[in-house]
Amino acid sequence: MATAPMLKASGLIKYFNRGTINEVKALNGLDLNVAPGEYICIIGSNGSGKSTLMGCISGTSPPDYGRTVLDQQDITYWPEHKRAGLIGRVFQDPLAGTCASMTIEENMALALRRGQRRGFRRGVGNQERAKFREALARLELGLENRLTDPVGLLSGGQRQSLTLLMATLIKPKLLLLDEHTAALDPKTAGLIMELTCSLVDRNQLTTLMITHNMQQAISFGHRLIMMHQGRIILDFNQTDKARLTVRDLIQQFHSAAPDLSGLLSDRLVLG
Amino acid sequence: MTFFAFTGAVEQGLVFGLMTLGVFITFRVLDFPDLTVDGSLPLGAAVSSILITKGLNPWLSLPPAMLAGFIAGMITGFLTTKLKILHLLASILTMTALYSINIKVMGGRPNIALINSPTVFEPVRQFLISLDLNPWLTSSLLFLVLVSIVVGIMIWLLRTEFGQALLATGDNPGMITSLGVNTHFTIVVGVGLSNALVALCGALVAQNQGASEISMGVGTIVAGLASIVIGETIFGTRYLIVRVISAVLGSIFYRLAIALALSFNFFNPSDLNLITAILVVVALCTPKIKAHLRNRGYRSNA
Repeated sequence: MATAPMLKASGLIKYFNRGTINEVKALNGLDLNVAPGEYICIIGSNGSGKSTLMGCISGTSPPDYGRTVLDQQDITYWPEHKRAGLIGRVFQDPLAGTCASMTIEENMALALRRGQRRGFRRGVGNQERAKFREALARLELGLENRLTDPVGLLSGGQRQSLTLLMATLIKPKLLLLDEHTAALDPKTAGLIMELTCSLVDRNQLTTLMITHNMQQAISFGHRLIMMHQGRIILDFNQTDKARLTVRDLIQQFHSAAPDLSGLLSDRLVLG
Repeated sequence: MTFFAFTGAVEQGLVFGLMTLGVFITFRVLDFPDLTVDGSLPLGAAVSSILITKGLNPWLSLPPAMLAGFIAGMITGFLTTKLKILHLLASILTMTALYSINIKVMGGRPNIALINSPTVFEPVRQFLISLDLNPWLTSSLLFLVLVSIVVGIMIWLLRTEFGQALLATGDNPGMITSLGVNTHFTIVVGVGLSNALVALCGALVAQNQGASEISMGVGTIVAGLASIVIGETIFGTRYLIVRVISAVLGSIFYRLAIALALSFNFFNPSDLNLITAILVVVALCTPKIKAHLRNRGYRSNA
């Protein structure tokens, strides 16, 4: 590819409980290049290293070896709060991405200042309210009329929608979605995926999405990656992915990771 | 209760309202149970008193007292964030260390008398007399003005970008970190600000009672917590402005409740801690008991 990658992770190695009897090598020399605007789905069974990879990129648990370069900046040793200026994140727990005791507009104002210095200007500007109202109206959840309601009054699905909106309020270089529909009921999960796609499309966001749902992984995004034992074992581009079915995917998984045959979890298939 | 006891309680409530506002920052804004205050209150008193006895203007002794409290709070914040000591334990450690430091500050003595020294109240008294007003409410008036200013500054601060980051740090530290705030910084500064207010309170209390004394901080945290909970129970927690003001009003009600309890001959002053502890337990339980009764109502209707 001619353009420089937006994210370039090389040789990532991450141990947990290193030097003890419980030592786990969660990432085993992982390499990943993500082109600008690429939307990648990541699947893999439990313990394959998906979330560890997210942790290495977001800075919550930096790798033991390897480098992470985001938008041509080496962020390997940046603390988590410094990376936040470049990265938007949505978590699995729908309550994790918002402050329950603060109002909708306060939460959005916090997100609008992602990565900026926070001084003694007004926490919620008057002009910002109009912007928030407009962005909320696009969710079609009626939240635009509830700007001063505490977020704690919203449902899990509403809070996850709000978190998504907040993560993209100022365009991130990279959007990290860590199983962000896994804790929602199927209908709400569908709505959140729709919202995800429209936000990613509209803003041309470079996105990494972890999912346990194979159908979701096949239907959405430009590229599909399967992880196993801390490495990427399968990597489908958009054309390959278009022909893929869940059955193919499972077959490919078995041939790529024969040691795990029969251990494939129901959750991986059923989501 | 006599009228004199009543005005005395209001005066105490106002000056300890400053301490309550400090405790509000840690307990309610940062969700950080901070026991440093039991040491930073006498620290403020000690710094202010020693400076006054050395001849400094009593007003000018207040900023150094606040700075000392700020540093004490920052140390607790540092122990918690950088050294990963449990917040409760970190604050107990600072409080314990402050006992020795406070005695050092007071020149090796456990108390300093200010009976014949100038205080911040003297100019206010003179001013009231010059207006032909009776000066007997001097301290209450001064405390009312000071606490109003601090309430105003706190409401302003909590609505700034920095204040919102403080509130978010207490509510959801993971979320606010993902939005680019260094929570170690907000915690260190927040706990510092809290203890600066508590030290200011200590300095004013010492000047008002005419002495600073090593044990004057005992029970500060419980009194502050009781005041906050009383304020919340009466005025609710829906609006930030109301919560800040009700911390001060809660402090006044708390001192009134104590004055009332002591006005019955049944109680001794030494029963104060027992009464306070019971008061806090009752106040903390009230919302839960209310909710329980409400739920039972639903069930019996169904």
